[in-house]
Amino acid sequence: MLFTDRRRALLGVAGVVIALVMALTLDGIFAGTTRQVSRYIDTSPADVFVSQEGVRTIHMAISVVPVAVADEIRQLPGVDWAEPILFSSDALRTPGGRRPSYVIGYEPGGQGGPQTLVEGRDPDAGEMVIDDSAATALDIVVGDQVEVLGAAWTVSGLTTGMTSIVNTSVYVTFDDLATVLGSPGVASYILIGTEGDPGAVANSIEAAIPGVESQTRTRFSAEERSVVREMSTDLLNIMSLAALLVGLAVIGLVLYATVLSRLREIGVMKALGLGRIGVSRLVLIQAMWTVMTAFVLAVAATFGIGAIVAAVAPDIDVVVETGSLLRAGIGSIIVAAVGVILPVIRVWRVDPATVFRRPS
Amino acid sequence: MTNAALTANHLDKTYGEGTTEVHAVRAVDLEVQPGEVVLIMGPSGSGKTTLLSMLGAMLRPSSGQILVGGADITAIPESRLPKLRATTFGFVFQDFNLLGPLTAVENVEFALNLAGVTGHQARTRAGGLLTDLGLGDRLSFRPDKLSGGEKQRVAIARALANQPPVILADEPTANLDSKIGREIARFLRRIATEEKRAVVIVSHDTRLRDVADRILWLEDGAFRDLQTMSTDPVCGMSVDPQGAPHLQIDGGTVYFCSNGCRDEYALAGAGRHAAPAPQGNMR
Repeated sequence: MLFTDRRRALLGVAGVVIALVMALTLDGIFAGTTRQVSRYIDTSPADVFVSQEGVRTIHMAISVVPVAVADEIRQLPGVDWAEPILFSSDALRTPGGRRPSYVIGYEPGGQGGPQTLVEGRDPDAGEMVIDDSAATALDIVVGDQVEVLGAAWTVSGLTTGMTSIVNTSVYVTFDDLATVLGSPGVASYILIGTEGDPGAVANSIEAAIPGVESQTRTRFSAEERSVVREMSTDLLNIMSLAALLVGLAVIGLVLYATVLSRLREIGVMKALGLGRIGVSRLVLIQAMWTVMTAFVLAVAATFGIGAIVAAVAPDIDVVVETGSLLRAGIGSIIVAAVGVILPVIRVWRVDPATVFRRPS
Repeated sequence: MTNAALTANHLDKTYGEGTTEVHAVRAVDLEVQPGEVVLIMGPSGSGKTTLLSMLGAMLRPSSGQILVGGADITAIPESRLPKLRATTFGFVFQDFNLLGPLTAVENVEFALNLAGVTGHQARTRAGGLLTDLGLGDRLSFRPDKLSGGEKQRVAIARALANQPPVILADEPTANLDSKIGREIARFLRRIATEEKRAVVIVSHDTRLRDVADRILWLEDGAFRDLQTMSTDPVCGMSVDPQGAPHLQIDGGTVYFCSNGCRDEYALAGAGRHAAPAPQGNMR
């Protein structure tokens, strides 16, 4: 009943929609980025990843494992294949710009390289495969020269799906990267294909070989996403809080303004016998109606934005997760509940005897 | 034990304290029987609205008692007053005070809902009341689509919805033309006579004298004896001669409610005389 003024109602809904879309989209971009971060692991044919003991991620970690460990692992039951990779990070530099990049060294023709080649071939010595999206952004084609880790490389092929909003991945030969890093005889990780239960194989590797950490792909991927989330949680919380505060301010101000414009009618209702609980419920229902309508519209808008972003900027993945929706939903309810406090206090103070005063 | 629908005993209301103290209502006694229409008149600022607010359980008196059906409503906790207002009083206002977003029937239903009557029962009763008041074809109209008289009839239907023993009307005819005003006055009279409800009307409108059983004059927060009152020949308002602006004309004294009326009368010239005092009695 408070929102008979449609413009005011729409203003309230629109304000909360903007706040929620902001929160949901930021959350979606973050979730998408987190997924992209673990894409190398998720798309790898390896069932188990072995690293230096105590190292559970690729991101924000340095793992050193002797290459000979791969031979030991191949002897263990349940192991189909084992292959070392080297991992480093740097900027991919080109005349067209630079892009932060993971650098992966693998045995060409093996399992550690790009899973798809959309153009060209696996790298030989002095060559690398880069992602097609990064190539487009940096205006690079197969055969061009690029610079990574202080060395010049020729682009031999293009893979796809390995560029995120944050960085890209490039692939060189294991030997080249070992030379550039000056670390012969060591690998960063050993990728393992299994014939049986990956969990059992992972356990048997740790039991048989001292000084290594052995994780299934699922666990390794989860650890990878977790470390990225932990690094960004504070920032994300601040952004979500800011969005919720915007929503709170909008709903609070709109409700308060609405209540102020309806004081006489509220006075009439109180004079006729509507008590404090009744008027509070009236304001709360309006607030809930506003945020729930806004929530539904915001979810639809976020999916729409995700589709548009996917078409316009393929590197940015907007992933709306159930947890994100739950957080936004609960946040909306909290915003509505907090937003009604001042308006409710105001309506409590309305004197029912105002009905006897002439409207000015 | 009294059978009065509404009784006020030594009702007093003071605002502020010390040098800012205002005595709005002073030791007012009032008794209204079921079926009786009491008209309270008086100049602006005389305490009429304060008295009506107290009688309607919207304002606590500084002292004194208000009994409705024998129960002292001044002793009822604040939290129970809304329910009491919903079930015990019907209010009719000068500005109608209908809820703009609701239709005519919903306005009446709203009052029923407050008293615990809901759903189909509320809708049927609300529709029936409005039909009885000649608004059967206006049930789904919002207030902005109704005329002044129709709005006031909706307000009366709303006031009657919960069959309250007491109807309190604040200037119910002030915003209506004379024909509709008389019609509303007759409605209020009919409510009192046929349904045995006590009706208290606060008004400046002298037309309401025709339907009132008693007329009380409130001035400076206290009831005055109407027999001693004079009538302002310009605006027709009853005036207490004591301290009122006046003119000596043809050996007689003419009393006015204000200097404005006196000056207007003086400018218009002589040849007019003060009308006789209105009839009425005090409790």
